[in-house]
Amino acid sequence: MDILAFLAQGFAVALEPQHLFLALVGCAVGTLIGALPGLGPVNGVALMIPLTFNFGLAPTAALILLVSIYYGCMYGGRISSILLNIPGDEPAVMTTLDGYPMALKGRGGEALGLSGVASFVGATVATIGLTLFAPLLVGFAIRFGPAEYFALFVLAFATIGGVTSGSLVKSFLAACLGLLLGTVGIDSVSSVPRYTFGWYELYDGIDFIVALVGLFAISECLVFLEDIRGSNKPTLRVGSAIPGIRSAWKCAPTIGRSSFIGFVAGVLPGAGAALGSFLSYTLERRWLGRRGSFGQGDPRGVAAPEAGNNAAAGGSLIPMLSLGIPGSGTTAILLALLLSMNITPGPLLFTQQPDMVWGLVAALFIGNVMLLVLNIPLVGLFAKVLQAPGWFLMPMVVMVAFVGVYSLSNSAFDLYMMLAFGVLGYVLRKLEMPAVPVVLGLLLGGQMEYNLRRAMSLSGGDWSILWNSGITVGIYAFAVTLIVAGMVYGWMIRQRR
Amino acid sequence: MSEPGLNTDQVSGAVADRIAGVVLLLMAVGAWWYSHTFPAGFGQVVGPGAFPRLVSVPMGLFAAYLVIRPGVNQRWPQRAALLRQGAALLLLGIYAGVLKLLGFLPASLVCVVLLIRLFGATWRASLVCGALLTVSLYLLFEFALGMPLPNMPGLDW
Repeated sequence: MDILAFLAQGFAVALEPQHLFLALVGCAVGTLIGALPGLGPVNGVALMIPLTFNFGLAPTAALILLVSIYYGCMYGGRISSILLNIPGDEPAVMTTLDGYPMALKGRGGEALGLSGVASFVGATVATIGLTLFAPLLVGFAIRFGPAEYFALFVLAFATIGGVTSGSLVKSFLAACLGLLLGTVGIDSVSSVPRYTFGWYELYDGIDFIVALVGLFAISECLVFLEDIRGSNKPTLRVGSAIPGIRSAWKCAPTIGRSSFIGFVAGVLPGAGAALGSFLSYTLERRWLGRRGSFGQGDPRGVAAPEAGNNAAAGGSLIPMLSLGIPGSGTTAILLALLLSMNITPGPLLFTQQPDMVWGLVAALFIGNVMLLVLNIPLVGLFAKVLQAPGWFLMPMVVMVAFVGVYSLSNSAFDLYMMLAFGVLGYVLRKLEMPAVPVVLGLLLGGQMEYNLRRAMSLSGGDWSILWNSGITVGIYAFAVTLIVAGMVYGWMIRQRR
Repeated sequence: MSEPGLNTDQVSGAVADRIAGVVLLLMAVGAWWYSHTFPAGFGQVVGPGAFPRLVSVPMGLFAAYLVIRPGVNQRWPQRAALLRQGAALLLLGIYAGVLKLLGFLPASLVCVVLLIRLFGATWRASLVCGALLTVSLYLLFEFALGMPLPNMPGLDW
């Protein structure tokens, strides 16, 4: 069993005192950030990335910290979904359906405890799945050449947002915009400056961390400024989280089913956590039929999306780590982190840096346990964060974004760039155009172009190399299938109304 | 899961989507046209302009589709909100410009106080919370996290 040996090695890495400490700090900070109203996991992780860079941590340590923050944010996000009916991100929308009614009945603490346990189970199932299946995918992907990789990137862009967000055309447009913005700067192959218009600040290209913070954190503040009065809601009494453990036991079958569904949804490229939570909620609702009181505060209506969402989040790490294709907005941001530490996810990562991969997997296990331990007793404390007024929180977010970005390069230009991306993010949101594909384009564009050019130089300029192998054709067919499935699915939803 | 059909936060995107479509279409055409000025390196099969052109084709097509068939938008901000957002952006722009010149503490103090005020707090609360936030961020970043922030001129310690 190679895997077990590697995993043991990973635990040895993750259990080092410094790493444990970072995991603890990450989970606590992440939960706090996630719980802030208006800041979901994507925004939270985006805000924390520049800071993490400044600690000068080793890649493994930085990754453990970021993953813990990510998990923490996911947990914290559900606090505002349940208590305020404000979902921090797309997957959390399903949690509000039964979580908020539970909170209205004074069972907020129970809902939070239950969602903690359900997330824990979902994430653990997914992490076990990751341990088992990622090496298989790696074994397959190790034979990929540049043409196959190019096809893989096409697949990533064809499917991102295809299933979850409203308009397919708008997601594609956002992806194209990101890819085009990604070409700004000096071309790495020919050293020709592209689209810099003589601005030497642009020669290094657009830093995606700056773009990320602008698109997610600054735009959030602009949204908040629209209505500075109407955003404060009364907070409900939380109560103890201990009954949540008991009700989790009663919901065990639901949690099991939803974890499995979520995991499968997460592994699919481009689908991610939103599909995971949506599918597990709707399928569970159908499965239970009249036996459930879904929508009126049924505990199973909290357990299902939470288990599904976290299982999907874990599952989406499989394509991210083994192929370099992110399955959701937040994994896209984790990918950003990896790339900026000069770690290129993909099959080679598993063979060249097994320490890092398995250390990460072990950190996921540990982060899960830590979150559960941290959150059951402290849920009331974290819920207090919700009472902080927006007029204080949002300026704080802006300041953290400014300091974080400024400390990356000490240049005012980056700050202006961040503000510009903030405006872009805001306009995109008003247009109902998703911002995640823009980030993905910025992130993956370089690799996509590199693989295209390598394939072309291998074939001596013959474009047919791009669709000449069985694997590439298979990948393109898969992409088309997923797009069509997404369109049919959207059409079916529209028919039902 | 955004649901099709207009809900209360959504408006028809006919105008805004068309404007966005035209802007993106112009960007795609411009990128295509401009990419021909990139000199191709010697011995390269695919030059630096190929990939941008490859991206600009679908981009132009999707943008044209958006012009022809616009979708839905979220409700656009009212005049008062636009003024607040513009003021915030102006303030932050000035802050970014003077950060190095004035040093972190004085620049941030003024910026944060005005920002909190802009977000709807009273002057009293803005002054107190702004000062607290600035000082605690300074202590956190400068000392606890060890990130050097620009100091006030003449006060280098």
